[in-house]
Amino acid sequence: MITIPKKGTPERERLIAEHKACIETMKGVPGCTILRCETPGDTTVVTGGIHEDFLLNRVLLRMRAMNPADGPRKLVVICTKVEKEWRIGRLSGVRGVPPTFVNDKVYDNEQDPQHDIFLMRLDEMDAEDGQAEQFHEGWKRRDDNWTRT
Amino acid sequence: MCAMRLTGYADLFGVNPGKTIKFYVNCDGPSAYDVQIVKMIHGDTNPRGPGHIEEAVDAACNGSKPGRKQVIYSGSYGYVEDNPNLQVQSFTVQCWIWPTTPKTHPQYWKHGTQGLVAKWCNDQGFGLFINEEGCAELRINGERITTGAPLRDHAWHFLAASYDAETGEATLYHEPQLRYALDPEIPPVTKTVSGGVSHQADVPLTLACYTGGMDDSLQAKASRPEGIVMAGPYNGKIDSPRLCNRALSRQEIETMKLGAQPGLTERRNSGPTGELSQCIVGAWDFSDGIDTIVGRDHGPYLYDFQIVNCPTRAMTGHNFSGHNFDWKHAPKEYGAIHFHDDDVDDARWDVDFEWEVPADQKSAFYAAKLTTPEGDEDYIPFWVVPEVGKATAKIAYMVPTISYMAYANEHLANNAGGAELLVYRVPIMQDQNMFLSEHREYGGSIYDTHTDGSGLCLSSRLRPILSIRPKYDHFLSQAPWQYPADLHMIYWLETMGYDYDVITDEDVTYDGVARLEQYNVVITGSHPEHNTGPQLDALHNYTQRGGRLMYMGADAWYWVHSYHPAYDHLGRGIVTEMRRCESGIRTWRADPGEYYHQGTGELGGMWRYRGRYLHSVAGTGMSSEGFDISSYYSRTPESNDPRVAWAFEGIEYDEKLGNFGLVGGGAAGTELDIVDTMLGSPPHTLVVATSAGRHTEAYLLVMEDFGFNQQGLDGTQHPRVRSDIAYHETPNGGGCFAFSSIAFCGSLPWNNCDNNISKLVGNVLNRFMVDGPLPEPPADAYQHRGRADYDPPANKAAK
Repeated sequence: MITIPKKGTPERERLIAEHKACIETMKGVPGCTILRCETPGDTTVVTGGIHEDFLLNRVLLRMRAMNPADGPRKLVVICTKVEKEWRIGRLSGVRGVPPTFVNDKVYDNEQDPQHDIFLMRLDEMDAEDGQAEQFHEGWKRRDDNWTRT
Repeated sequence: MCAMRLTGYADLFGVNPGKTIKFYVNCDGPSAYDVQIVKMIHGDTNPRGPGHIEEAVDAACNGSKPGRKQVIYSGSYGYVEDNPNLQVQSFTVQCWIWPTTPKTHPQYWKHGTQGLVAKWCNDQGFGLFINEEGCAELRINGERITTGAPLRDHAWHFLAASYDAETGEATLYHEPQLRYALDPEIPPVTKTVSGGVSHQADVPLTLACYTGGMDDSLQAKASRPEGIVMAGPYNGKIDSPRLCNRALSRQEIETMKLGAQPGLTERRNSGPTGELSQCIVGAWDFSDGIDTIVGRDHGPYLYDFQIVNCPTRAMTGHNFSGHNFDWKHAPKEYGAIHFHDDDVDDARWDVDFEWEVPADQKSAFYAAKLTTPEGDEDYIPFWVVPEVGKATAKIAYMVPTISYMAYANEHLANNAGGAELLVYRVPIMQDQNMFLSEHREYGGSIYDTHTDGSGLCLSSRLRPILSIRPKYDHFLSQAPWQYPADLHMIYWLETMGYDYDVITDEDVTYDGVARLEQYNVVITGSHPEHNTGPQLDALHNYTQRGGRLMYMGADAWYWVHSYHPAYDHLGRGIVTEMRRCESGIRTWRADPGEYYHQGTGELGGMWRYRGRYLHSVAGTGMSSEGFDISSYYSRTPESNDPRVAWAFEGIEYDEKLGNFGLVGGGAAGTELDIVDTMLGSPPHTLVVATSAGRHTEAYLLVMEDFGFNQQGLDGTQHPRVRSDIAYHETPNGGGCFAFSSIAFCGSLPWNNCDNNISKLVGNVLNRFMVDGPLPEPPADAYQHRGRADYDPPANKAAK
């Protein structure tokens, strides 16, 4: 399993730069992926990002697959004013308990929080996330990540 | 955090002109709110499109209304109203249970004791419970007797409790059906409780809860029986409860498992002897009346449980043998009801206002817009639908209301980690999601699991459905989905000046082809995924008789649905049911033996596995899905075939079709359909445009299209990850045009509807809407075609 690049490594800086470049070109797209639009805001031609940087691709998959009820809980984007304001929240992992905001930062577009969450997760995730050293009893219980709705 | 202080629903989805529609509103805080009936034109707030558009409608109900809070009382249970026979002094109560959340997290929304079978309130009465520690508990008045052994979740246990009022001896039995090697023994627990059972008047016998109190609170008003607040909702199955009016021996309890055997003779039945049977107060058999909301009592008094909030039935019982999967053929193995603390069949609110729809009101999308001066806002959508035989246009738009119900109040963005893998980004939540994440009592969607983790397979429309709202972007698409996405098409029809009627899935299900044959063309929603059999029959009959179908989306005709007949007395299409069986895109998976609908007894799951291929309805069927961004189409040589070339008049061959749009940024996106003559596409189907090779890694082949896991299934690699725009003729001058992408209609409003997707759709609609049969195809179009067999391009070149 691929480890999450540690702070200060060139791999980590490369991933951050590529992720940021992709997010910048996604502004204006009603949707989002970690790819570069040849024309910003236009998905006709998309390149780079997860299609060309294997490590970025795998690190993002690992982040997305984090168990919502384990560890630091998953981060989400919350639209607080339609088409105007977005913030970052954290899921509770408990049904019936809503997410909470992680800070006071307010975004004026829906794509920038994606990048900040990427940065936060790089800091929060153990390099060995999901590997044998981290075994716990929960691994024996069926949990396909869909069941916690 | 975010609060929606206004929520509401109507008693109807579709209302006929001249009829009255009732609205129910929760106004939690403000003293008043304003009502304005509006015609809905466009619901997408994206600044790159036309924005939200509605038109005010003169209506007698417009104006200020007093606000009041109304609450939903969720959680399914059963009750038998109090009567002297239930007021036992000595007793034995027993049942099988399969608990799913015997012990909950302290923050869990309904954390605490769970009632199983009880006639108990405020330390008076008796009953079987699961205590806060997850152990079986017997309550006699204020006494609590427990084995101290936690109940294993998702496992069958037999529980029994007896009490002899004369001796004061109370015994609790907890007998797991399966004991593993290292499970400690759970001996019966006996305790002396003096004084007999005291009974509070009017406390009902309850199933899957206990009586919390009796008052005139909002909760009590919305509860059944009205005035009684139920507490301690239970999550899990209950099978074969019994109540006897004396303390039985363990041997007698064993015999009583067989239940009442009415009319025992030498030739029929076996079970409790006549003498033992005399102590039976109730012996319930939930395998009887699976399609009802009554829990039948086979004992002498016929004390049927009235079942509230529609728990899941047709569930395997403690004695399921695994030999028969259809409850109709082995009913005795289906004696379990699975109760959930978030089941809701009807909010049961009081009416706040009504609108008598004028007889000349045009058929269209409407909503009751609710606002307050403080900025609160909600919309209650509904549709004005002509009566059968009173069509007012040549075009009908078929609103996919069953699909709206399937997606009603979905919670996937809240806690489903898998949602992020699906959408390939971090989901974005909106007010509606935030409200629902806290208000589980509003019930979930058929995409959700219940709060106990089991699959949610029933959805009611008699509750506020916050996903059927304008100005709502769904986490899946980061853009409108279902209702607000369907308004893209409505905006286009309005802008282009077409006259259309609106009909719903309900109308087609209940009225059949009579609903459709009034129109020259029927236009579908962007994602009519969930359908009843009668609806598909009607569509088939319509296209075979010369009707024209414009299939404006993808992933349609996928899941088997049925309306639950037990709610027919409340109107059409109140509760819809679906089971997620062995294949298909499933956010949960039905357990073995639980594939058949409780309402109609029909096999659930995908229509494909009932021999009704998706592709047979309109020519294309789902092949892949991905939710990050959308792409565009290129024309194929088949688009130049004279059978279909008319559709591309005004469009150059090399144009990129739909490389713009309000869903994912392109016309080909989210969920995609393709032509497959092996899966029901007629062999003469023409593929006129395709998005092959244009999709991202987020797009994956559907699991029903492959037999084992392997690499190479995504949009950058697999040839079936694509959308095909397709056309075929049907008999008697009919035809189907399939646009095959959920994102497709999101391109229509682009550039004020001046674009090549708009042109293509306009060409098709203009041809399909004319009176009489479509023009005859060229004579050489009539030829023998295989289904698997065709002439590969290389062969053609060699000739």
